[in-house]
Amino acid sequence: MPSAALTRWQNDRMLRLGHMDAHCAALFAPAAPSFPPAAPVAPPSPPPLAHESLQGYTMLVSGHFQGFCRDLYTECAQLCAAAAPTTMRTKLQAQFAAALALNTGNPTHETIRKDFERFGFSLDLDGAAPGNSQCVTHLGHLNFWRNHVAHQKGSPPPTGVPTLLTLANIQVWRASCNRLAISLDDIMKQELGRILGVAPW
Amino acid sequence: MTTQNLTEPLKIGTIVRIRNSGYGPAKIVEFRGPLGPNGSRVYRVRVRKKPRPAYIEVVEDQLDPESADPVK
Repeated sequence: MPSAALTRWQNDRMLRLGHMDAHCAALFAPAAPSFPPAAPVAPPSPPPLAHESLQGYTMLVSGHFQGFCRDLYTECAQLCAAAAPTTMRTKLQAQFAAALALNTGNPTHETIRKDFERFGFSLDLDGAAPGNSQCVTHLGHLNFWRNHVAHQKGSPPPTGVPTLLTLANIQVWRASCNRLAISLDDIMKQELGRILGVAPW
Repeated sequence: MTTQNLTEPLKIGTIVRIRNSGYGPAKIVEFRGPLGPNGSRVYRVRVRKKPRPAYIEVVEDQLDPESADPVK
């Protein structure tokens, strides 16, 4: 059984992103072939605001992944607080909430590590599952483009980051976020099991 | 197992007191959803503190609403 945070990610957040994906895919779909076939022409340019839709999709993938990370952190913190004596509960909750990077910062690998390591372990998201290292790289690309869009920067991306924002890239980033979400849920299940002595979910 | 929340969540802006804490009146600023143990509701509340307010996330059964209507 997954956490409530992962359940929401899979049953709500990913579905919403799926609708956005379908919206963008329709905007960039090639025109239907005419009959009889017309003379070959250059592919039609995408409609107005198609690129803005891709930019919006990028923001949503980053935002929903941040939302998932915040949800999972809150869920874990509340489980730990509930296991403490009543008089300690609010103090623990206050400490868990203080200066949480995910409340204000992008869901970067560093931000996620910094916040989740408050549970007293070294978070190895790269090594938690085969392929995670590539997913972490994709998360970096997603966050780069998220900021590029949010600040409407004109400078070219650094080496290694996709130079163009395309639907295919965003789809890869979304799939990577999904894998990382499943991994993070699994890691925290094991860590909370160690801390609490029982399976948390 | 998840318990069912049969009542409406507390509204954003509601003034509450946090039980078993040393905090004074606090204001609900965000409903975080059923993320607490057994699906209990979690709220993010702002408490008065010097030099700046602090934020804390608590479950619904820790809160005693003080105002019937949300304060803007």
